[in-house]
Amino acid sequence: MALSVLVVDDSPMARKMLIKALPANWDANITQAGNGIEAMAAYRAGEFDLMFLDLTMPEMDGYQTLEAVRSEGLNCIVIVVSADIQPLAQERVLKLGAAAFIKKPVDMQKLEPILHQFGLLD
Amino acid sequence: MLTTDQKDALQEIANIGMGQAGEVIAKVLNEFVTLSIPRILILQPNLIAPALQRMVNSELVSAVRQAFHSSFRGEALVLFGLQRCADLADLMGYEDDIDHATEMEILLDISNILVGACLGGIAKQVGVDIGFSAPSLLADRVPIKEMMKVNDASWQHALLVEVNFQLEQRSFACHLVILMSEHELKKFAGELDRFLESL
Repeated sequence: MALSVLVVDDSPMARKMLIKALPANWDANITQAGNGIEAMAAYRAGEFDLMFLDLTMPEMDGYQTLEAVRSEGLNCIVIVVSADIQPLAQERVLKLGAAAFIKKPVDMQKLEPILHQFGLLD
Repeated sequence: MLTTDQKDALQEIANIGMGQAGEVIAKVLNEFVTLSIPRILILQPNLIAPALQRMVNSELVSAVRQAFHSSFRGEALVLFGLQRCADLADLMGYEDDIDHATEMEILLDISNILVGACLGGIAKQVGVDIGFSAPSLLADRVPIKEMMKVNDASWQHALLVEVNFQLEQRSFACHLVILMSEHELKKFAGELDRFLESL
């Protein structure tokens, strides 16, 4: 069955860049959201296996979204995709329950092993 | 003057450049840097000073200027509000009494790091080379209006990209502003288009 994947970023271009970096033959249905509020609404409308999450966003940022994912107990793997590459930022999101951290711009070579690691890619 | 797509691209590219600058600054100062979402404004020259004033929220500012030259040219300013400078010496590991010259040297160093990482990151993403002039002190504790007088010949219609760096544990913050004239902005927009088409 195809994976359902949610891409959360306030920048349409950033979403496009990420989607372009996904494996070409990957069996996944992609949905997009512009901030944490939209992401949570999208999740409630239909669950997702995987969420790619930006950190700096208006309305509801990535940190707040991670907290919401945790407090609502969503069964969803979250990979943070961020321009903020400070080690402490990485440490914080991992503590908040993110499965992995990838820096922007997303490098396809680095993304694939992570997808493998979580059994999201054959 | 910029399409929605170009503006979005610039904001995202600036965001990545800023993330790289934030990481370098965090390493140098050993503090976590809180990054804002970059704000992009296109302003007429008479509106630049009031916009900067609102941004810095300080009567007097010190500012470092650095010109950049790529397939487009412009200048980057790093603005420091007055109350924000005091913590800096301590942060950089100096003994408590530093003289004025040393303080200015620190501002030049910090600015150089920020501008190089941020603009360098932007240039790298759109795939162009970029060079920088040496940083110079544009203003030393002067009202923003005065500061703009010194230099306004080169700033016509200006693109203002505002990036804020705030240290979590200290009262230090600074603002990076990229200024480009209308003519240079058009060239830069061309680079953004090429970048967008490559996606």
